[in-house]
Formats: sequence, C-alpha cells, structure tokens
Amino acid sequence: MASTSTSASSAIKLDIPLHIKYIQNLDKRQDLAYHLTSHLRLNGIYWGLTASHIMGQPYALDREGVIEYVLSCWDDEAGTFGPHPNHDGHILSTLSGIQIMLMQDAIDRVDVESVTKFLLDRISPDGSVSGDSWGEIDTRFTYILLSSLSLLGKLDQIPTEKREQIVQYISRCRNFDGGFGRVPGAESHSGQVWVCTAALSILGRQDLIDIPLLGAWLSERQLPNGGLNGRPEKLEDVCYSWWCLASISILGKLHWINKDKLIGFILGAQDLDDGGIADRPGDWVDVFHTLFGVAGLSLLGYPGLEDIDPVYCMPAKLIDKLGLKKPYATLPRMVSYP
Amino acid sequence: MHGIKRTRLTPQAAEAKKLKEQGKIEAYLALEQDVLGRKRRKEYTTEFLDQTTKLLDLNPEFYTIWNFRRNILLGLFPSLSPEEVVSHLTTDLRLTTSYLLVHPKVYWIWNHRKWCLESVPSGPGETVKWKEEFWKGELKLVEKMLDADSRNFHAWDYRRYVLSSLPTQRPLSDELKYTQSKIESNFSNFSAWHCRTKTLLAIWEKEGTGEEEIRRAKDEEFELVTQALWTDPNDQSGWLYHRWLIGSAPPLEVLQREIKNIQDLYEAEPDSKWCINALAHYTLLLSRNQTTNDEDQIRLKEEARRLYQRLEEVDGDRKERYRDMAERCL
Ligand SMILES: [Zn+2]
Repeated sequence: MASTSTSASSAIKLDIPLHIKYIQNLDKRQDLAYHLTSHLRLNGIYWGLTASHIMGQPYALDREGVIEYVLSCWDDEAGTFGPHPNHDGHILSTLSGIQIMLMQDAIDRVDVESVTKFLLDRISPDGSVSGDSWGEIDTRFTYILLSSLSLLGKLDQIPTEKREQIVQYISRCRNFDGGFGRVPGAESHSGQVWVCTAALSILGRQDLIDIPLLGAWLSERQLPNGGLNGRPEKLEDVCYSWWCLASISILGKLHWINKDKLIGFILGAQDLDDGGIADRPGDWVDVFHTLFGVAGLSLLGYPGLEDIDPVYCMPAKLIDKLGLKKPYATLPRMVSYP
Repeated sequence: MHGIKRTRLTPQAAEAKKLKEQGKIEAYLALEQDVLGRKRRKEYTTEFLDQTTKLLDLNPEFYTIWNFRRNILLGLFPSLSPEEVVSHLTTDLRLTTSYLLVHPKVYWIWNHRKWCLESVPSGPGETVKWKEEFWKGELKLVEKMLDADSRNFHAWDYRRYVLSSLPTQRPLSDELKYTQSKIESNFSNFSAWHCRTKTLLAIWEKEGTGEEEIRRAKDEEFELVTQALWTDPNDQSGWLYHRWLIGSAPPLEVLQREIKNIQDLYEAEPDSKWCINALAHYTLLLSRNQTTNDEDQIRLKEEARRLYQRLEEVDGDRKERYRDMAERCL
C-alpha cells in the first residue's frame, strides 16, 4: 500500500508453489514444441525433479510413473538409457536416468553392469570421451562419464592409466585464460568450465586448475544487471549464471561475485503468472532454466531452499549420503529475503 | 529456450493456436511412429531415406533419426559405385547446410556433416579430387557461418576441425591473416583473439621459433592489441589477449614498456577497471622479477595493493576478489 514501486520490485520473491505447479503441469501441455523436444524428455524429468527437490518438494512428481518412464527409455542395443522410448541410447540421457533413479531411490531397478560397460566403452585411447558409438567428442561427456560412474559407485572401474589419460585430455582443453573448452583448441566457455572443473573435482585433481586466474575469469562473467554470461562480451543468462556459479563455488570463491544482484536477476526471470524461470527477464520459461535458476539461488543461500551440490547438480543431502561430497563453498542460508 | 520474448495469449487465442497445431501434431506423430517402427524392424531401404528427410525437416534435433539415416546409408554404400556414394553424400551435405542456416547451434547437424565428410571416398579414379573439393567447400561454408555470427563456437570449433582435416594443409599464416581480418572488423571478437593465441603457438611450435624471434612476433602483436585497448578500454577481449602476450615471466624491458603504455591509457581513462586491473597484475609481476631489489619489491607490492584497493571502489561487484588480491600483496 504505502510501498513505492522500487521497493515493490525489490520485494519479488521466489514463488515456490507456482514453480512446483509449473513443473507438475509440464507433461499436460502436449503442444507441438513438447513433441519436438522428446529427445530431451529424460533430461527434462531430471531438471524438473531436481528443481522440486531443491524447492523442498521431492514428491512433486508421481514416483512410480517416473520410474516406469525411465525404464521404458532403456535401449537394449546400446545397453543404456535413451531420452525417450525407441530413441537411441546416449551418454546425455544415461546420466539423467541415473540421477532420476537415485533421487527416486530406485537405482536397484537399473542394470548397473550394462550401463557401466556402456560408459567405460566411451573412453578413447587419447583420454577423450564420446557421447555414443558414433564418436562425438566433448568435455561435457567426460564430466558425464565421471559423474555417472561415481554416482553408481563404479569410478574405480576406470583403469589407472585411462584415468591419467582422461586427466591429461582435460588439461589439453585448458586455455591461457584459465578456462576450458569443448575440445583441445576450443575457446573457454562457462558450460565447459563447469564440466571440466567438476570432472577434476571428482578425480581429486583440482591442482590442475589455476584458481585465482579462473576465479577471476568467472567473476568477470557477471554483468551490471547481475546476470552472468558464458563468454566475454556475450549476453547474461540464467543457465550460464549457474555454470559460472557452480564452478566458482567448487573453486571456493563464491564471494567474488555480487550475490544480491544475481539473486535479483534470477528472481526477475520468473514468470509470476504461470510459473517457471526463463533465460532472462521477459522471455519464455522452460524447465531447464527453472532448475538452474533455483539451483543458483540455493547456492547463494536463498531462504527456504534445500542445499544443492555444485559438483553433481543434485540435492546435497543425497550426495552426502552416497559419500561423494567434494570440497566447495556455499553461502550461508538466509533466514529471510530481502 | 533462449532469447524468445514471452507473450501473453488470451484464452481464445490459446485455443485457436491449439486447434491450428492439432493437425501438425497428428501428422508429426504419425510420421515419427512410421519412421521409428521401421527403425525397430531394421528396414534399411533407399526409398525410405525420404521419410527420414521429412521427419528431420520438422525436427533436425532428432538425433536418433540422424543415426538411423547413417545406418541406412552405411547399409547401402557397399553395393554402390563411388560416384553414387558421392551423390548421396552431396545430398546430405546440402540438407545439413540448409538446416544449419536456420539452426547454427545444433550439435547433431554438425555431427552428421562430419560423418558425411569423413565418408567421402577416394577418387575419381586414382585421384583424391573428391576429398579435396568437399573439404575446401567446408571452409567456405564455415566462413559464411562465421560471417553471420562471428562468435558461434560451433563454427569456430568446426573451422579448426576442417583445417586439420584438409587433404592438403594450408599454411598456418593463412589462419593468422583470417583471425586478423576478424579482429580488425570487430576488436570485441574474443573468439578470434583466442584463435590467434592457438595459431601463433602452433606456428612457433611447428617452426621451432627461437626466443628472440618470438619476442619480435609478440611485439607486433602488442601493437595490434594496443589499438584495440585504446579503441575501447572497457572491452575485455583485448585485455585478455594482452595478458596472454605478457605471460608469466616476460622480459623486463617488455614488461616495463607495457606498464608505461597502460599508464598512459590510465591517465586518459582513470575509471577503466581493466586498465587498473592490468596495472596491478603487471606491477606484481615486476615486483617478482629477479632484477628487482628488495626495496623496490616492497614499493611495487604496495603500489599493486593500492591499485587493488582502487578497484574495490571502481568495480564494486567484485570487491571481495580485489580485497583478496590486495591481501596477497602484503
Ligand atoms: Zn540459458
């Protein structure tokens, strides 16, 4: 009533019930765009389920329905999960399948031996990791391999010399600015920085990261409007904000960015009518940016959220329980905001 | 979804959109079911390639269909003449070109393209003309993509891949010229600066360039980047490149010269955070130089600390970082 428009806009909060409803309704939309993105369906469930966990509602999605769906994505020929029934198995959907089944406490229903074999087969002699048998190479896949195997408790299945080759390959993707690229020679990009930083963290090889240099590069990703970008002189984005934030958290330098401005930016990207978070304020929302928005807020200590693990992008409680917690810094959970 | 403005639909408009989409959805799902059904039954026939094209036209991100298409072609190739194989690959390259112009960032389209190129047979006859022509065509395509979006990292990565795959290697100096033209048309193109670091390193490694010559080459680079810094001192691309040129243990005269140059810029642009940041870092480097005596070392560290403290004011969003850096100067 008496509040001015400025204080009203700074009082925007995270609308948890609305976002939960948005996630629950994702499957009811069934418009053309829904069908055209079936190759991302399993990832979509992981994004939605993780966001629900972080917002304190782990049972937001029908548990048995989700498990049945994950199992229906199994590709017998590849011996792992595809993103949707009858789609080909791929390392991208493999990680999502594992993450979902762990969050649903149903990993015992997965053929872990087969998935492990699929994963180990992805390692090339030069230490690079492919996405499937067609052979695309990307440091994203390196991370996914390590994350998946460690979540399954099978990291020790990588022979020592292969492990060393993987480490060497990641090093070859490191650039003079401290960041990492998709393949050797490629430009640093905050998405690839996150996967490489997290991969090295899983391997216990943070010594290969120049922390002050990379930390500075990451902190320079923050723009005056509070959002973070993926590369120098590019636009801010909620998903890049997460990748930078998770990386800088693993480096223990989370305080090197302006927390309040980033919180404001993420909150401003919410759709407060229909729920969900967009890449930036005023754009269409999707479940991908909804997760990364919520996850970013959690790392920044936003009140009322569960802790997220920046290495695995999963509920910290679950990662602790699995005994996989690596060193990282988060900000203390606030009691109220603003 | 990236960069698509949210619009609010009235319930009537939403209903109309849904009705209009209904036909499209049904057609799409029917086609998808048909193609996936044949895939399951392993019906690898040529006539059927057209069905996969139709589906990919509607959804070029459907990687399972790209995989299926390759399997059909792989099943076909052993019974075809090299000319026929080339004709199929030409069709697929054309197809992916048209998709890439609309979807320049879809991994799966780039992947299919790579597969096509790697499948080009030797010939005609005893020559490798096909390979030569196809790969040269790729270089043209990727230049077009980079003209459209000079920061598209898919295109830059693909360019490196094409260059390393050319049956006849181009001189690395050509690539240096290319990055220079990209940089000169836009100093803010960090992708081009980045590529330049890799190209120079590759040249020096390949030619076993000596220290003196590298230094001379770097002097020319300093001239190029100085233009960029003076043009827009708030653009970080040039600063990053400058830092790469300086490296971790620069020759004393180079370091002193560059500090002097940046001090001149600092006087003209007293609030440029990048200027102050570079000065602070290079002053610290100077303090660590083995020719610096103890007294100067203390003085230089103190100077660097003051610069970091100044940054806390100029660039408040990162003040904690500067505070940490200032502490390291003690
Ligand atoms: Zn995004």
